[in-house]
Amino acid sequence: MPPLPGPRWALRTSLDAFHSQWLLNSSLAVPAAQKSAFSTTSLLSARAAATAPPPKPRRQENTPVKGVRKTYSVKKARKVSTAKPPGPGERKAMRKRIILSNTNALEVQGLKKLEKEMFAGGKELKELSGKMMGLEDNTIDQLKAVQAFQPRQGWKMFRWPSVLMRKEAVDVGHALQNAENNKTSFRRVLVGDKHSGKSVLMLQAQAMAFLKGWVVIPIPDAQELTVAHTAYAPLPESDPPIYVQKNYTAELLTKISNANQAILSTMVLSQQHKLPIPVQNNISLDRFASLGARDPELAYPFFIALWKELTMPSQEGDGMQRRPVMLALDNLQHVMRPSEYLDPDLNKIHAHDLALVKHFMDHLCGSKPLPNGGAVLAALSESNRLKTKELDYLIKRNEALAAGPLMPEQTMPLWSPFAKMDEKIEASMADVEILRLKGLSREEARSIMEYWALSGLLRQKVTEAFVGEKWTLAGGGNLGEMEKAAVGMRV
Amino acid sequence: MKRSQVPSTWVSVDQAVKWPARTQCFAPTVKRSNPIKPRLFPQNFTSAASQRQQLFESESSRSRSDFRNERSSLLNRVRIVPASPSYFTAKPTFTDSLLELQALLRKYQTLPLTPPGTAPQVAWKTLAQWQAANGDEPVKPSKYGRILSALYRLNQIHPQLMPEEVQIALDKNKKDFNPYEIKTKPSFLDRFGRAYGVGRRKTSSARAWVVEGEGDVLINGKNLAGMFGRIHDRESAVWPLKVTDRMDKYNVWALVEGGGVTGQAEALTLAISQALIVHEPLLKSALRQAGCVTRDRRRVERKKPGHVKARKMPAWVKR
Repeated sequence: MPPLPGPRWALRTSLDAFHSQWLLNSSLAVPAAQKSAFSTTSLLSARAAATAPPPKPRRQENTPVKGVRKTYSVKKARKVSTAKPPGPGERKAMRKRIILSNTNALEVQGLKKLEKEMFAGGKELKELSGKMMGLEDNTIDQLKAVQAFQPRQGWKMFRWPSVLMRKEAVDVGHALQNAENNKTSFRRVLVGDKHSGKSVLMLQAQAMAFLKGWVVIPIPDAQELTVAHTAYAPLPESDPPIYVQKNYTAELLTKISNANQAILSTMVLSQQHKLPIPVQNNISLDRFASLGARDPELAYPFFIALWKELTMPSQEGDGMQRRPVMLALDNLQHVMRPSEYLDPDLNKIHAHDLALVKHFMDHLCGSKPLPNGGAVLAALSESNRLKTKELDYLIKRNEALAAGPLMPEQTMPLWSPFAKMDEKIEASMADVEILRLKGLSREEARSIMEYWALSGLLRQKVTEAFVGEKWTLAGGGNLGEMEKAAVGMRV
Repeated sequence: MKRSQVPSTWVSVDQAVKWPARTQCFAPTVKRSNPIKPRLFPQNFTSAASQRQQLFESESSRSRSDFRNERSSLLNRVRIVPASPSYFTAKPTFTDSLLELQALLRKYQTLPLTPPGTAPQVAWKTLAQWQAANGDEPVKPSKYGRILSALYRLNQIHPQLMPEEVQIALDKNKKDFNPYEIKTKPSFLDRFGRAYGVGRRKTSSARAWVVEGEGDVLINGKNLAGMFGRIHDRESAVWPLKVTDRMDKYNVWALVEGGGVTGQAEALTLAISQALIVHEPLLKSALRQAGCVTRDRRRVERKKPGHVKARKMPAWVKR
């Protein structure tokens, strides 16, 4: 119980009040500067008062204080990842990784493989129409060497890489046969919707070329030639200047020698070439190519020499024999425009002024022949699509020309009179036919769906209605879309 | 009440004498000076002034001996009473109308009816419309229900035997136009075998021409995969064909505009379904079950003041 306020308490407070009053009034009161809990001499305190910093001005009310937040906020704890970050190039390697087999998928019983013998005559090839065919071990290695497989083509879902011999693929097979027999060049630009199978058709063409013993010279992604990621230099004594990409050429030689080793090893150098280094006279062409690939400085002269050797006309009887050559280029749009390289005047170098591109285009337009026959194939890309007005127009024009006389209601596609046509591009597309990939037929669609079902990826029954439904949903049998709709993960 | 203040629709008692007793009211025997029409309150009474004038004129010619005898009857005659016996129900028009209909019902209750569910579809006036047409009397919905039930019953009388007075009474209570009479124009295949349908969803509208074929679809000149990236949207667009197993039996050529991707796909659903019904009308119920017939009327809800979006409120902040 607290003590009740009584007379004693009252007396004490009144005394206190009196005492303080007395202290203030009396002359004994201490000056303000000396008011402290302890006492100092007057001298010291005076000195302290003189040296003391001026008193801080009192903060007025309502003036903002620096560094004090007015709103309430909770700082989130930073999440510190303990995982090791991916090393340099690791992410790209993951992205570009190509998986050609999946052990979880069922092995398709009775799957036949594409063989050399099937291409001897046209008859057997015809029978393959609409069938799924596996690829042979050797062919797979060769296709890997030319980087024909791409990561998003769905190879990783199946036990064994196999391809559908659609009508266009069979037609290309026949055309290759004709080109070989007649020693002509089969030149086509592959065009079609996104995911319609242009690159896979190119892969099939290359596979057939390998089986037939052709020499394949690949440019798997034309973008690499024009985005200014590889060294370039003008070719001495070239006017107008032609630019050589020595490192890319060296890589190309490596690809050629690895992929075509079997056939190139049967051929030997037959001519004297102007080369920066002395070379053995009867060196086999695969060794010649790998020799050139060893040093980028040597690459371009070696590539030109190799090309001369390959395009030497074959001799009759037991004389020198040369095989047909296939030039294959993907992502054509990227070389149908000015590249990202700059010339000494800081103008963009046209892609057709790059030596390798020029070499390809000369053969695509047919201005340089292939004496032993062969094929020049270029594919467009719709997923890495560049706007190329000229190419789009020229494709339409060439298609219309190939279609024959116009129907009464049709008009010939016309180039805009207000735009300048790129002459180099026009020249390269002057006389090239277009191979447009449309959707699969229902029979082909059914065949590939049965393959999916046998691989264990498709759980439904493959009925006519099912095939028809997926065919329609895929925009009229677009192969990639059909795979997305039937096998792919639903998002 | 002074004479001058008497509403003009009051009548003298001698007319009122003719009123039959309420219990004997088989038919509406109330004589009205005017046919029933919308009247405002002060006109709800008819004036008997002219009759009174005649009365006083005739009085002067009468003999004095008759006068006394007739005095009481005169009083009866000049006393002013409301025209309708329902005047003191506070809702005279309503009561009269109800009585009239009920009287008609009693009168014709033996007439044969149409088979159930086959009576002609009629849209009756809503309560508000009825009130507006009948002097704005304060009628409760439940009371108006009694009128409606009488009307429904009268409407069931077989059309071939429908009496004229019933028809007049029914017509009075119908809406100005009958929405059930509006019939959609039946569509037919054109000379190329094409059926046409229109569909809408959100802000998209689609026109589709469906023709027998093999399952080709062309929308705005693009194929289905080129038009819709999502497989879900592609399925929505051709859903009517899928649910009826007609995917590989028809070709579709369509034009879509407005809105977004989903809206366009779902507008196509309705358009294709409508065109498919032209080819095969019996599919309508199956398509209705699959949700391909009814237009989804929802649109984007408007933003409100004080809200971040239509419903979203800003986050609560402590001052």
